[in-house]
Amino acid sequence: VSVPSFARARLSALLGVTAVLVLALISTGIDARARSVTGRAQQAHAARIVRATGLSELALSTSSTWLRHPSLAAPSAAVSDAPLGLDVDPAGATIARPTRERAIEMEAVP
Amino acid sequence: MTRASLVYALGAMRRRAGRNAAIVIGLAVVVLAFATVLFASEGLRSTTQRYAAEAPSLTVERLVAGRAALVDVADAARLEAIPGVRAVDPRVWGYFYLGALEANVTVVSATDVHELGVGTDVLGDDEAIFGASVARVLGVRAGDRIAVAATGVSDGVPVPRFLRVRGVLERESSLLAGDLVVVNAATARVLLGVPDASATDFAVDVFPPEESGVVSAAIVDAIPGARVVDRESLGRSFELTFDARAGMLAATLVPALLALLLLAWERLTGLSDEERREIGVLKAIGWSTSDVLRARLTEAGLVALVGATLGLVLAYVHAFVLGAPLLAPALFGWSNLRPEWALVPATDPAELFVLIAAIVVPFAGISVVPAWRAANVDPDRLLR
Repeated sequence: VSVPSFARARLSALLGVTAVLVLALISTGIDARARSVTGRAQQAHAARIVRATGLSELALSTSSTWLRHPSLAAPSAAVSDAPLGLDVDPAGATIARPTRERAIEMEAVP
Repeated sequence: MTRASLVYALGAMRRRAGRNAAIVIGLAVVVLAFATVLFASEGLRSTTQRYAAEAPSLTVERLVAGRAALVDVADAARLEAIPGVRAVDPRVWGYFYLGALEANVTVVSATDVHELGVGTDVLGDDEAIFGASVARVLGVRAGDRIAVAATGVSDGVPVPRFLRVRGVLERESSLLAGDLVVVNAATARVLLGVPDASATDFAVDVFPPEESGVVSAAIVDAIPGARVVDRESLGRSFELTFDARAGMLAATLVPALLALLLLAWERLTGLSDEERREIGVLKAIGWSTSDVLRARLTEAGLVALVGATLGLVLAYVHAFVLGAPLLAPALFGWSNLRPEWALVPATDPAELFVLIAAIVVPFAGISVVPAWRAANVDPDRLLR
């Protein structure tokens, strides 16, 4: 069965677009595989920091001390039942604690 | 699918190139948003689990008035006496405000740092290993000295202290340790103001690990007010929390998906005179209703697949190649110490398939309805 030229052109265009998309997906897959292998090696390397310090939580929120190590730092916070729960406010650290207040707290500890 | 309906669908796509391009872009943007959330949450989840696996079996804190307080180093002996406890390490760590950064860093003591690759096993007094983010923002390198205002325990007056940078942790670890300042116990006590008889918490090594639950209960009995964080339950909490967090973020994107579907519905239900005439001609030359629907479904399916695939590839590039510039500011807040975005792809292809299906199927579905209605009308009426 002969295929009209306009139909051939349309099917060729479809083939071209499909090829580009499939190629993009395959490239993404290959890149993901490579990043996964490299990333896991880097994580294994970084895991020695956890072994040395015992701190395993991610530094996603460094501005608020109660969110830096949410499972340990502020058990009385609203998110204590779900460590790394929704951030209440990521700006707690813009105001430093007065050093005098900290010293008083230290003295109060038996 | 017959070749005729495919060729017709391709022709129709070309004739309505502007409208289809708009829908492809809309779909790509929606898939980009959803897939970025999926990539980020799965990457964070796998990264967290990887590091949590190296955490101490149990971490024991003391609660006073509902807040974490310092523990008594003397209590370590009571913990060591519990069967199943292999080792107890009183840790000194905490947060230290660096005025120069206007940010908190995490000061942590470590007794053995040979694994950190800075050429020494033990840190001397006032020696420190800096996390990559702190070092980058401060502009320090190994060998530099920086002054910090340590808290004087005796008089409460800040005392200038000079830290010598023994080394800097590599950039790739910044998501875990970007804000760390690793020092020895004596220096940590001076910086944080922790007395010699106290520690921040106990890291407890339990063997066999299955005994963690029993040991936790014994610890709570041994130390009144103790709070025990179990490595296993920590891992489970992270699982649940990332699910919840990704779910919340995805929920905020649902209106965008609904808006797109509404737009598509509005665009596709109002068949133009030209489209009605096209359907009339097809029916007049012998196409059945199912042939018309098949052609229409093919057209919508191709548009949706192109948009979804484009969105998926763009989401990958956005999340892993560009470092999620659209998501990272929301995730990291306005911290001065931002870690490098170094997530590892860890998304299950099946989840991506479900995501694509959840967007493409309703889109293709709503595009068929108007064609079905038109295809059921007498061709004579369509052509007039």
